[in-house]
Amino acid sequence: MFPIVQMHSIVKVYPYTLLKANDHVDLTLNEREILSLAGENGAGKTTLMKILYGMEEFDEGMIEVDGKKVNISSPLDAARLGIGMVQQHVTLVDEFTVAQNVVLGKENTVHHLLYDERKNSSKVATLIEENHFSVEPDALVGSLSVGEKQQVEILKMLYRDVRVLILDEPTAVLTSQEIDALFSTLRSLQSKGVSIILITHKLHEILEISDRVAIMRQGAMIGTYETSLVDEQSIGRMMMGETAAVPAKILTSIDSDRIVLSVDHVSIERHNQKQPLLDDIHFDLFRGEILGCTGISGNGLGQLESVLLGELPISKGKIFYHDTILSSEHKRARTREIGLPFVPSDRLYTGSSLTAPVSENMIATSREKFFPPFGIRKRKIQAYTRQLISRYKIKSEPYQAIGTLSGGNIQKVILAREIEKVKDVIICCEPTWGLDASSASFIHEQIIKLRNSGIGVLLLSSNLDEIISLSDRLLIFSRGAVVARFGVGEVSTMTKESLGPFLLGKAVRVKRGKM
Amino acid sequence: MNKKIECYNPVIYMLRSMVGLIFIVFVSLVALVGFSYYLSETPDKTIYYFFNGPFLSLYDFGNMINMAVPLIIGGLGISLAFRSGSMNIGGEGQLYFGALIATLTVIALEPLGRAGAVIAIFVAMMSSGILAGISGVLRYRWNTNVLITSFLISNAVVLIVNYLITGPFDDPLTNLFSTQPIPETAELSYILPPSNLNTSLIVAVAAVFIIHALMYRSRTGFELRMYGDNPRFAKYAGVNVMYYQIMPMFVSGAMYALAGSLSIFGTYHATIKDFSSGMGWNALAVALIARYRPFAVIPAALFFAYIESGARSAMLYSDVTFELSSIVQATVFFLVSSVTLQRLGLKKRRI
Amino acid sequence: MDTVSSLIFSAVTIMTPLLLAATGGLYTELTGMLNIGIEGLMLLGAFSSVVSLHFTHNIVLAILIGTGSSMLLAAVIASITLYLKANVFITGLAANLFASGITTVLSFHIFANKGVVTFPELPQMPVLFERGTEAVPVLGPLLFGHTFFTYLSFILLFLSYVVLYRTPFGFRLRATGLYPKSLISVGLSPKRYQFIAFLISGFFSAVAGAMLSVNLGAFVPNITAGKGWVALVVIFLGQKRPVGLLIASFIFGISEAFSNYAQGIWHIPSDFILAIPYIFTLVAIVFYSIYDYNRQKVE
Repeated sequence: MFPIVQMHSIVKVYPYTLLKANDHVDLTLNEREILSLAGENGAGKTTLMKILYGMEEFDEGMIEVDGKKVNISSPLDAARLGIGMVQQHVTLVDEFTVAQNVVLGKENTVHHLLYDERKNSSKVATLIEENHFSVEPDALVGSLSVGEKQQVEILKMLYRDVRVLILDEPTAVLTSQEIDALFSTLRSLQSKGVSIILITHKLHEILEISDRVAIMRQGAMIGTYETSLVDEQSIGRMMMGETAAVPAKILTSIDSDRIVLSVDHVSIERHNQKQPLLDDIHFDLFRGEILGCTGISGNGLGQLESVLLGELPISKGKIFYHDTILSSEHKRARTREIGLPFVPSDRLYTGSSLTAPVSENMIATSREKFFPPFGIRKRKIQAYTRQLISRYKIKSEPYQAIGTLSGGNIQKVILAREIEKVKDVIICCEPTWGLDASSASFIHEQIIKLRNSGIGVLLLSSNLDEIISLSDRLLIFSRGAVVARFGVGEVSTMTKESLGPFLLGKAVRVKRGKM
Repeated sequence: MNKKIECYNPVIYMLRSMVGLIFIVFVSLVALVGFSYYLSETPDKTIYYFFNGPFLSLYDFGNMINMAVPLIIGGLGISLAFRSGSMNIGGEGQLYFGALIATLTVIALEPLGRAGAVIAIFVAMMSSGILAGISGVLRYRWNTNVLITSFLISNAVVLIVNYLITGPFDDPLTNLFSTQPIPETAELSYILPPSNLNTSLIVAVAAVFIIHALMYRSRTGFELRMYGDNPRFAKYAGVNVMYYQIMPMFVSGAMYALAGSLSIFGTYHATIKDFSSGMGWNALAVALIARYRPFAVIPAALFFAYIESGARSAMLYSDVTFELSSIVQATVFFLVSSVTLQRLGLKKRRI
Repeated sequence: MDTVSSLIFSAVTIMTPLLLAATGGLYTELTGMLNIGIEGLMLLGAFSSVVSLHFTHNIVLAILIGTGSSMLLAAVIASITLYLKANVFITGLAANLFASGITTVLSFHIFANKGVVTFPELPQMPVLFERGTEAVPVLGPLLFGHTFFTYLSFILLFLSYVVLYRTPFGFRLRATGLYPKSLISVGLSPKRYQFIAFLISGFFSAVAGAMLSVNLGAFVPNITAGKGWVALVVIFLGQKRPVGLLIASFIFGISEAFSNYAQGIWHIPSDFILAIPYIFTLVAIVFYSIYDYNRQKVE
């Protein structure tokens, strides 16, 4: 087999957070193959592909196409080399028709002047027919479903005669029928001579569609394997790495009289849509436990976080903190006004103010302690910040803008800030997302320490290792609903593989009533 | 990862962040010299008076400082508003309106003497504060663009004030389009005769300290800056969104009114038609140049006042017109919001 | 002419510069840039074209110089905004400030006069199809007897429709404003289209300004008197569509014609008349944001 694209020792460092997104990464794509690029969130897959497509600059390394060194500094260069990419987010104009979107930038004209509606439309129609797509060339893109929009994205690339097609997590938003259709399209493209790179983190899809799989973890390339020679377990292990040892759990039973946070039949309905965003979510959080919630992205975890943050109003149900009502029908939760400790998943834009110094970020959620009616306790702020910096082993100075810290240190600042104001509950969302192993295990230790001191911890995480090793009880979300509940003692017997069917919504395990 | 924490020195950082600003000032002065050579028969004379005019006599010097006073006060309000993300650009109307309200109130309250003047300023500040606050309320309620609403309200108000000055409140005793003069008891006393410089300078300097304390030495200021830096984060931290969308608008409107009424009480002694034309914009440019730092507002305002009074003396002693200053100011305006220029002296963050 | 006919006739005269400026502003608006500088671009165009007409007595050359100078200023706004990453609102305001400064300074330099400069020697702008005005009711004053600027504005509007909706350039330009990432994803630069849009806007604004000053045979300081702002409103009210612009600018024309007429009868102060466009815009924008807010809430 002939290698069509080779990436050699690519290094990419993000200037603001100094995060090493790609650390000397090598990748080879052969002619007529489907290559899966697998890895957890934040492993650097998308960055690597954006580099190949000319949307990101890289700091070191070299790219070869057809054995010749090339310089790809914009998508235009990539297109010239026959490389096309379907982004995770659609890049279509809703107000234009399918044909107009497909030909944008490479239109057929009448006398080099006027846009030739008929010719463009018929060319796209031919293309649609050749690839057995279902969209109409003259339909407005705004009226299409997500799956159809993705077809248009692929058409856009095919219209440009791509030889290499990159797809970034194309199945994340698709229904299973749409996924089947997409895969058969990809296979027929492969038979026509197109080489395909598929970015994904879904294990069964990797095995189903790809010839080879390249696995990345924390910015580094772990290795590339023939798919026929590996199984789900081994790919999963390579994607996650060996998780650092976590202190053993102590808890065996839960004092069920001591409910701190209670989510009572909460739903979010969407306008004109049958499938609700959150479907009758119902659980209690007790003192001294870690209640884990997990699910594949797009299945309700994000919405639950938005609800708890007070960003999304709920359509039905109530949320209580002890006896205080935090939220009820059509209201946003008052979690933030009450000041419940909260570690948000979006640590860069929601959890911190990047241009402000570490000290200001540190006191942001406990302002009342540092501001008397008039004036400011500057020395106290300094001392407090220094104290937390040393206690949480944060590499920074109090006056440094937090945006200049690494991701792990930013997260430690947020965690320190929120832990300091814990009374009896804390909500942590994706606390170790994209962090290096040492920061992650430090954060895990902190969370367990909190639990052991009698705090109720609500942990929302899509990292299965983390969720299995930390949770005392576990809820699994699929399509906005809780499809499985595991009680004390049950979680530790679970493995990532045994959770799989629940995550995909193929199995359901819900006990009657509240647990 | 054993990365050394980068050396961070606040003084060096500040000096580096000034590089872009110095470049902007330089470009605007080059524009001035260029235009002088093109426009003037005696360019040496024009340039000489432009640069030295303000220092030729105590009179010129005092007037220059006096010109800076409303720019300082207005610029302080804008610094606070812009720092919190409230883009109030309706200063022209807010200042003019405040000046008229203060004039009419102080005339009506003549029997109260000095107390009447204080009340008049208070009333003026409230009125213009509410005028600006409307934009804040619209933003809070329907997410209407503050930039646009404050501008439109201001433009309409300027015309309505013009009507009031030339119509119902016109003083028939003067040839100018102007209200009646304010009572003498309300006039501020002069500091540097024969120039117009008056005690309003003290208010301006005091305001610098007050606004600085408010922005950097109080919880309100802390929350205000949080909201300006990152509204999402501020919301997450439980900051009252409504307050920080409306209050900064109100305060900046009120400060413009203070600037306007002090100009009346100190310098003009009646609301003369178009007396404040351009003051609102200049105060805004001052705040932009000062990057919303209260203490930097003073030199920035002096720079603008210097350009204006330089243009005035160049007009008096040479053959150019006063509007030359607005070309220089426009040049500053063009470049002052440029992100690229602001980062000129700061090196790119790379490993 | 009867009252209605003369109202319609003056409405068309009033709407012409609005339509021209709004058509140009449509290009920038469709690329997603709010062009605040239209007012200044018009003013500079008005000044430079009437002054060059005075010196050259050649209307084509005058309009070339007028449009050239405005396009230069538009290029300055665009470069600073796009390539030095400045706030488009502030640079637009700077352009307005610059235009009002430079026209006064140059007027003083050339004519030693900062006020109204009249050019009595300039011929009256010829009117076309004069006979039709009174021959046909309603349509007569609407279509006949206007200067060539009016017909030019109709032609340019139609041409703009073709360019924006019937050429590849137009598709890309509109895609820039609707979703710039769609251009980036196929390797085109949105900034390039925004830059070109600014140049076009400068051209149209200059023609609009030229009409004001050349028709008058004089340059009055601040001759545009907020018309650039009204042009922006016309774009919003016209829903950013060519036909919409035509209707919206006619509405403004007829309402101003009527208020001029009413002023004569009921003695409404002229300052109020001048304030109307701003109040009108304010109300329109508030209503639009309420509509937008409710629409987003539903989603």
